[in-house]
Amino acid sequence: MKNKRSADDEKKGKWTRLALIAFCEIFLLIFLAIPLVYILCVAFREGWKVYYASISDEYAVKAAWLTARATAWAVGINTIFGLCAAWALTKFAFCGKKIISALIDLPVTVSPIIAGLIFVLTFGRQSFLYPYLEKWGIQIIFAEPGIVLATIFVTFPFISRELIPVLNAAGTDEEEAAALMGASAWTIFRKVTFPHIKWSLLYGIVLCSARAMGEFGAVSVLSGHLRGKTNTLPLYVELLYQGYDYTGAFAASSLLVVMTVVVLVLRVWLEKRGGKELDVQK
Amino acid sequence: MNENATPNSVELRGINKYYGDFAASRDVELSVAKGKLVALLGPSGSGKTTILRMIAGLEKQDSGDILIDGKVVNDVPGSERGIGFVFQSYALFRYMNVYDNIAFGLKVKKKSKDEIDARVKELLKLISCEGLEKRYPSQLSGGQRQRVAFARALAPNPRLLLLDEPFAAIDAKVRLELRSWLRQTINRLGITSIFVTHDQDEAIEVADEIIVTNKGRVEQIGPPKELYAKPATPFVAKFIGNSTIIEDYGKFRYFKSRGESSYAIVRPEFVSVYKRGENKYYQASAEEGTVVDVAFRGSNMEIRVDLLGSTLSTLRGINEPLVEVGERVDVFVHRLFTVSDDNVAILENETLRKESVVL
Amino acid sequence: MKFRTKESVVPGFGLAFGTTMAILGLIVIIPLCSLVVFSANLSLADFWKTVTSPRVLSGYWVSVSTAFIASVVNAVVGLALAWTLVRYDFPGKRFIDGVIELPFALPTAVAGISLTHLTTENGWVGKFFLETFGLRIAYTRVGIVVALIFIGIPFVVRAVQPVLEKIDPQCEEAAFIMGASPRRTFWSAIFPEILPALISGFSLAFARCIGEYGSVVFIAGNIPYKTEIAPLLIMSQLQEFDYASAASIALVMLLIAFLILSVNAFVQSCVSKRGGGLA
Repeated sequence: MKNKRSADDEKKGKWTRLALIAFCEIFLLIFLAIPLVYILCVAFREGWKVYYASISDEYAVKAAWLTARATAWAVGINTIFGLCAAWALTKFAFCGKKIISALIDLPVTVSPIIAGLIFVLTFGRQSFLYPYLEKWGIQIIFAEPGIVLATIFVTFPFISRELIPVLNAAGTDEEEAAALMGASAWTIFRKVTFPHIKWSLLYGIVLCSARAMGEFGAVSVLSGHLRGKTNTLPLYVELLYQGYDYTGAFAASSLLVVMTVVVLVLRVWLEKRGGKELDVQK
Repeated sequence: MNENATPNSVELRGINKYYGDFAASRDVELSVAKGKLVALLGPSGSGKTTILRMIAGLEKQDSGDILIDGKVVNDVPGSERGIGFVFQSYALFRYMNVYDNIAFGLKVKKKSKDEIDARVKELLKLISCEGLEKRYPSQLSGGQRQRVAFARALAPNPRLLLLDEPFAAIDAKVRLELRSWLRQTINRLGITSIFVTHDQDEAIEVADEIIVTNKGRVEQIGPPKELYAKPATPFVAKFIGNSTIIEDYGKFRYFKSRGESSYAIVRPEFVSVYKRGENKYYQASAEEGTVVDVAFRGSNMEIRVDLLGSTLSTLRGINEPLVEVGERVDVFVHRLFTVSDDNVAILENETLRKESVVL
Repeated sequence: MKFRTKESVVPGFGLAFGTTMAILGLIVIIPLCSLVVFSANLSLADFWKTVTSPRVLSGYWVSVSTAFIASVVNAVVGLALAWTLVRYDFPGKRFIDGVIELPFALPTAVAGISLTHLTTENGWVGKFFLETFGLRIAYTRVGIVVALIFIGIPFVVRAVQPVLEKIDPQCEEAAFIMGASPRRTFWSAIFPEILPALISGFSLAFARCIGEYGSVVFIAGNIPYKTEIAPLLIMSQLQEFDYASAASIALVMLLIAFLILSVNAFVQSCVSKRGGGLA
């Protein structure tokens, strides 16, 4: 009796296994891979020359540069922020830690459109800051600074969130030991703390750049949609698509797809690398 | 003042420390003489680690003064107090090899390369870890890690060495070896050292002097023998040794009760058990008891006997004739600690007093 | 009460904390405050009129209902994916594990136009579905759900995966030795362990999908009362420079997201009190 039942179970288990694996692969193939492949197909359907013309278009290049600049800003600011916040939140005890962590995580759950909206309300015409900004001749919304701010906002927690769990797990003993020997904050950070977070930081930077390059909603609110001036690559894609230039839109998209693939490959590599290091140093 | 002529290495005066409502230290007064190896002993939560961390400057006391070498160091940061600290977890820098770990404190002090190299080599020899320079902490055994942490703390020549539960993370067999190694090494170096432990055997075996803490207070300070023979407070009497509490000790023959509210503490070494007629000397003053339990403890037997309704525990050598559970035996109680109104006193068996037998 | 609850010997608190608060203030706190300040100046009557207008209400309904359906689908599929990735070994596992993150890394606008173009009547997938099932995907609510499933899948998988990896195999072995069938073992020994993580992943995906814009706006077709999502309503108010209406609609959306996350936080705290959860 018993044996028969377990044999049945085994058979059932095997079928469940195969069914699940098949489901998994088919789902991911249809859902995730086809859209990606499709972009490349459409981008190249009129041949290499049209593709090249599309991506070397003056406005496309300018949009790519703007995207690169905004991304660089976002990564730079968020790296500084991530390191400082992770260090402050994990190595010291003070009041209001929970509120600060909640505020750091908030931008991910806010709709990108609302993210754009709050910057419009802060720096726009109806804001009390507006007269001052105008006096000093600073334009933020519908200009590059607005795009940069929105990009920083939507990618805000990406780096700190990678670092905080790692530093929490490492504890503060090593830092205290170093401090007792008279090491300065900079020395402690460089020699003791940083080696722990090296790989997580890189991983965070990769994630942050991916999201920064691809941000659409928030940037769309804050951009003036001026071709060659305040159009980022995703906005440029939208513009072409709405203008029924599908080949152009998909060609520009293919640049972003390449970047996505690079990010995913880097991700796998970093995880492998960081994981190996972790095994050795445990 | 005499005190200034040979200042104590460490002195704490009226230290208080609260975490919210929890009193970690209450009016702590203690001093440690130069060159001594001192244990801070107490149950967990008794405030012993807090005292150590305050001396190191890792915590700041709410009130009171900390003196190192006769100078008040309340406002001196931990890094300038000239101390070496060995963490419970060792806190070795996981991403530095053994050499860099030991050299860290010297590098921070901007010593010359040759000087650092010489000192690290010397310490590696001291901890017998030559050849392990290039290893990372993860590639060391528990005992090696502990010794590296020790060497790292010693590297900048501190005047005071503090060790937080130095043996807690090591398995039992290595722990015994490390204890005597640590004791010998510290004695040879002559550095004043304070270590925290909750294990009385460890404190008694390693330390020159023991500071017993309980509920944030210092209960008693003294050499191990003195703590053992003359506990100053009921807590120390109960905590040190393997004690049994007897409420109505007046029922034993030759012991006179010291009042209603008093009770007695009996240690295994205060009690002897003899097979009937085995020992002629105490025969007359012994009382009859029944063996309740016999447990083999390796080098001796632990025997629990029922005497007039109280269970006493004692040790008996394995070379002596065996006793069995249920056997009627002669029980002789040499002495007791009696506790009344927080005072501890020794109460000798009256027959012993008459014959003036030495402790 | 003292601000620093415990002094530390580790130096550098001032600089790190100062920088953190300065950047946090400029990027998050001041902009959020300006939303609050701006909303405080709205008249309650106008606010109520805006958020209860039929078009806005239908926008909320479209956003919340499609996000809910997509998140339910994602919870089921995500659990299956996480299970397969943790428990089974099969060719291409590493590749699949990497691909899960694709929706997260792929720019939303790119995902949006690709999914749209694929599912229109002339697209590869759209044509197939229209001819076989008579089902239109692009420019319907089905399309919105499809886009949201695409966006939400990594949230669930990444929430469940680590918990599933940590489950003590001894629990399962114990159940097995006592003679429980694999199905029974799953439901009684494993599922309760991963439920908190699953709820957490579901809530995150749900909150995220309600606010999603880039990938949805192309496939939705934006037909008022049918496929017009709430974020798009904010967008069109902004294009007309009607900041008051935009802020009103946004406030309600923030409230909904806040509610979802609070419910999740409450569930998680109950679980951790019970002491049984790993999440």
